[in-house]
Amino acid sequence: MALIEALEKAIGKDNVLSSEEACRPYECDALSAYRQKPLAVALPENVDQVRQVLKLCKQYQTPVITRGSGTGLAGGTLPQADSVILGLAKLNQILQIDPLQRTAIVQPGVRNITISEAAAKYNLYYAPDPSSQIACSIGGNVAENSGGVHCLKYGLTVHNVTSITVLDMDGDPIIFDEKDDGIDLLALMNGSEGLLGVIVEIKLKLLPKPEAAQLVMAAFNSVDQCADAVTSVLKQGIIPAGLEMMDQFAIQAAEDFAQVGYPTDAAALLLCEVDGSHDQVQVDSQRVADILSANGAHQIQVSQNESQRLALWQGRKNAFPAVGRYSPDYYCMDGTIPRSQLAYVLQKISQLSNKYGLRVANVFHAGDGNLHPLILYDANKPGELEQTEKFGAEILRLCVDVGGTITGEHGVGVEKLDSMCHQYSDAELEVFHGIKKVFDNTGLLNPGKAVPTLHRCAELGHMHVHNNQLPHPELERF
Amino acid sequence: MALDTHNAASPFEQQLIEQIQQAKTEQSKIQIIGHGSKVPIDHQVEHLSLKEHSGIIQYDPAELVITVKSGTPLAELNAVLAQNNQMLGFEPPEYGNSTIGGTYACALTGPSFPFRGRLRDYILGSKVIDGRGHLMQFGGKMIKNVAGYDVSRMLCGSKGSLAVVTELSMKVLPKIEETTYCIEMPEGEAILLMNQMQGTALPISACAYYQGRFYYRVAGEHPKQDNRVEVNLCTNDIWQTLNPFKPDLQQGQKLWRLDVESTNPAIENTIAVSMGGSRRWVASENKPNHPYVTLWDQRFLPRNNDKPCVKRIKSGLKKVFDPHGIFKDL
Repeated sequence: MALIEALEKAIGKDNVLSSEEACRPYECDALSAYRQKPLAVALPENVDQVRQVLKLCKQYQTPVITRGSGTGLAGGTLPQADSVILGLAKLNQILQIDPLQRTAIVQPGVRNITISEAAAKYNLYYAPDPSSQIACSIGGNVAENSGGVHCLKYGLTVHNVTSITVLDMDGDPIIFDEKDDGIDLLALMNGSEGLLGVIVEIKLKLLPKPEAAQLVMAAFNSVDQCADAVTSVLKQGIIPAGLEMMDQFAIQAAEDFAQVGYPTDAAALLLCEVDGSHDQVQVDSQRVADILSANGAHQIQVSQNESQRLALWQGRKNAFPAVGRYSPDYYCMDGTIPRSQLAYVLQKISQLSNKYGLRVANVFHAGDGNLHPLILYDANKPGELEQTEKFGAEILRLCVDVGGTITGEHGVGVEKLDSMCHQYSDAELEVFHGIKKVFDNTGLLNPGKAVPTLHRCAELGHMHVHNNQLPHPELERF
Repeated sequence: MALDTHNAASPFEQQLIEQIQQAKTEQSKIQIIGHGSKVPIDHQVEHLSLKEHSGIIQYDPAELVITVKSGTPLAELNAVLAQNNQMLGFEPPEYGNSTIGGTYACALTGPSFPFRGRLRDYILGSKVIDGRGHLMQFGGKMIKNVAGYDVSRMLCGSKGSLAVVTELSMKVLPKIEETTYCIEMPEGEAILLMNQMQGTALPISACAYYQGRFYYRVAGEHPKQDNRVEVNLCTNDIWQTLNPFKPDLQQGQKLWRLDVESTNPAIENTIAVSMGGSRRWVASENKPNHPYVTLWDQRFLPRNNDKPCVKRIKSGLKKVFDPHGIFKDL
């Protein structure tokens, strides 16, 4: 095929995959329920080769799906049959660490954890820490505006990026910098899911490592008490470095898996970490323990040293694989809700679990209201995946209805396109499509992701007909 | 329990929509204004005033989120938060009856920027009316929200050129005790020292250099600072002096704001260094030769030095939000 030959000529045969077997690993990201083999995979070794891939894809009018490590959970890098996967894993160099300025300049294929490892000798680190940080790449983190356990205190990716260089569909570079004047294009690029440009270089903020950290673990007899305790901690003026909650199913699974001493009789478990100066941590951990106790915690454990702190985290960090042992498959949701709605939403999820006959384990970032219900299912049972997806969509709808959102950190990808129709109006979606066209009028960058077409939303049945008139009658339908 | 997420227009928003639609019909221009404390007011065009659009819409201290009407004065907002022992983390400057909408439109942030982030880092969601008269909501009230493009943060700094912002939802922080210290030293040494100190675990929340003194502010419990004999305890007033910075200038001098890397060596004619070293204030007749310079004579005019590709993007976005060119550009 002409495009494949042209790609091979431009970036070398070894950097282009096109056989059925070689392309197979790229047919999905970490959302493996959706799969599609791409036309080819281009694996450029440098920015100039990325530019050439883009120019050729534009010339041949071929969609380009940019991919890093493939750890995305929403199908944001799902190929189309006629598309080229632009894999940036080979652009994996840390170009500069400036310890005095506390910044790192990195290529997009650098793994998240590698940055902190490289900065450690200066006693600095990169704060955003998605759970997949040992594997996920920083370019993907920017594209998804990834979060993690520490983002309540230290912010999301968008708060820790100071400059990005992207290539547009013509292969031309554009720099977005925090020092730029006027509308904030740097903020717009974060979380744009690969639809607006191809990220080729990122400048990041590094933070000094906190002097000390302490973990307070608290067990509660009811989810309501635990949820109230979360709000009390924040109301009392403490911003924990991490504030994680698990329900009974998740506690049991994590304890069976990691054996860290979690109280398996508890209805809910809270892990609250405080960090900062030695003096501040001493004051804050005592205050947290007092607040949790006053809110009904029947068991409290405060880590006494670093190894104990890390050990207590092990259960939470392994909760997903731990739950995975109970079922052939699980589906991880990602809605956010106001903290005041925690108890109500968990109760509704439990009711939905009964309705669909599917078990759910709840593990979530309680501090920022980011839920991760894990729906257990068996893909080999006919119809069970479809039921699971319906269940998941109902959870996301519930999140929006209580004032939350359909995704806190995983992105929309292809997974939540339908749920976007519930969260946004046609006028808002039209603006999103307008933004896309400004950056990529070819529509070739990651098409069909993140923003649903109005057509799709209308087909879903959310069209509201009032007085026999459609909203936005000027728009062409079907 | 379900909340109404429909974009219902309040009577005031309905008025604004009608004003925009009338301007579209008459092909006239509108300038969006609050109390007029920042941008120059053009008396040749119609004004869309948000001055009366003031008040707190929703605030639950336990959620660390507040939703306000954009014409709310900063003073009122600060007072409500203070009653609950909370604060705006970005320390907005007060230009005299400043509103939160104007502060957002001009993307104004205070001295804690390198440590706690800038204004846009605290923006969670906004309700806006675009140039077609469509009332829309972007983002929300959640700290984590990655559904759709981040229009709420993007509009920060747009100076009323793309849409009328009627409501803003922001993250707030617990108020914390802060202590300021100062040391007399030359500018170059201060720039080096402030960068070195920012790389330590000391919980610094601001640092600056002004009139021969290096100032740093430390938040919460922290180690004693008397390990250097020259360290003096100061009041926190210096941060109001520098935010907003309104120095007395000599005849013919202009005030220039330079955004630089925090480690940038001392720049000629600098009269203050703020934001942990990343902002330099220069008093001179001529524009300093530097890539990120703004003439800062309290009129908040744009720099207009974008590269062609960025200009193309900004003009494209203008057409998306304001296809009829109703909102006045600065």
